[in-house]
Amino acid sequence: MESVDSNFPVRHRKFSLEIKGNKTEIVICSYEDHILVIATQIGAMGTILHARKEEGMSVEPTFSVSVIFGKRDEPMLIATARRLIDHISSFVPSKPLVLSLGLKDHSSETLKEIVAAVIENRLW
Amino acid sequence: METEYDQVLHSVAQVKIADQTGVNQDEDGVKVSCFTEVLDDVTLHFQIIRLAKQIYVWIGYNSAKFGNLYAAASTRPSNTVSVATVLGGTSDNTGSGIAHRLVMKTGLNIIMACNIPKNNPLLEAKAEKMLMRKLIDLGYTMPTPLRAT
Repeated sequence: MESVDSNFPVRHRKFSLEIKGNKTEIVICSYEDHILVIATQIGAMGTILHARKEEGMSVEPTFSVSVIFGKRDEPMLIATARRLIDHISSFVPSKPLVLSLGLKDHSSETLKEIVAAVIENRLW
Repeated sequence: METEYDQVLHSVAQVKIADQTGVNQDEDGVKVSCFTEVLDDVTLHFQIIRLAKQIYVWIGYNSAKFGNLYAAASTRPSNTVSVATVLGGTSDNTGSGIAHRLVMKTGLNIIMACNIPKNNPLLEAKAEKMLMRKLIDLGYTMPTPLRAT
């Protein structure tokens, strides 16, 4: 479901899917200088991560991904943010990602489905 | 003599929250509300995303920039409100005060992104008032909000 207000400067898209029996709500918002993705199964934002592409001299892109709020001992969440910023930066290189994951399980199958769903419904 | 700033502050304090009975907690799904208000020569954009146990708010000042991100909630045992700057910002953050007062008045668990520039307390107060009104209108406030002591 896409935002219907064409005058509002921030576009957003909201949808819901079921992953391993858990209802997952996803909201993607595109601000002028950030992309916000919220994926929640618990009704709250959960762990919030920040990811951006680093300005670098080398040919290979480097990314800086960190947890800014919440669980800091879950590498799968960081990997998810890394995967998404990789995708985002190939379309809009200058927009960092704020990713919020409020999930009941942090298994790789769940996270892969979330990444696939976000990319399929992307706003960048 | 009361300055305009004091007047706005007073009216913000007087925005009363009636006790809500039967708040529909069963309503599933995430709800996104967006609206824009124009004040003098300033455009304020508001985005409210209601999750079941938390509310995300974005306030845009003339642009669609994300701004600084704050998390605010009431903390046990004494029901005081804590605010953390999660992304960006320096110590004199404009949004943290708004987040703090929002939680005090509404009892909600709030994540707020705000790019209102600093040194503009009047604008801050007006934005806060608009946001409070909208949150009440949408019925997102808790039945027994925390009161400022």
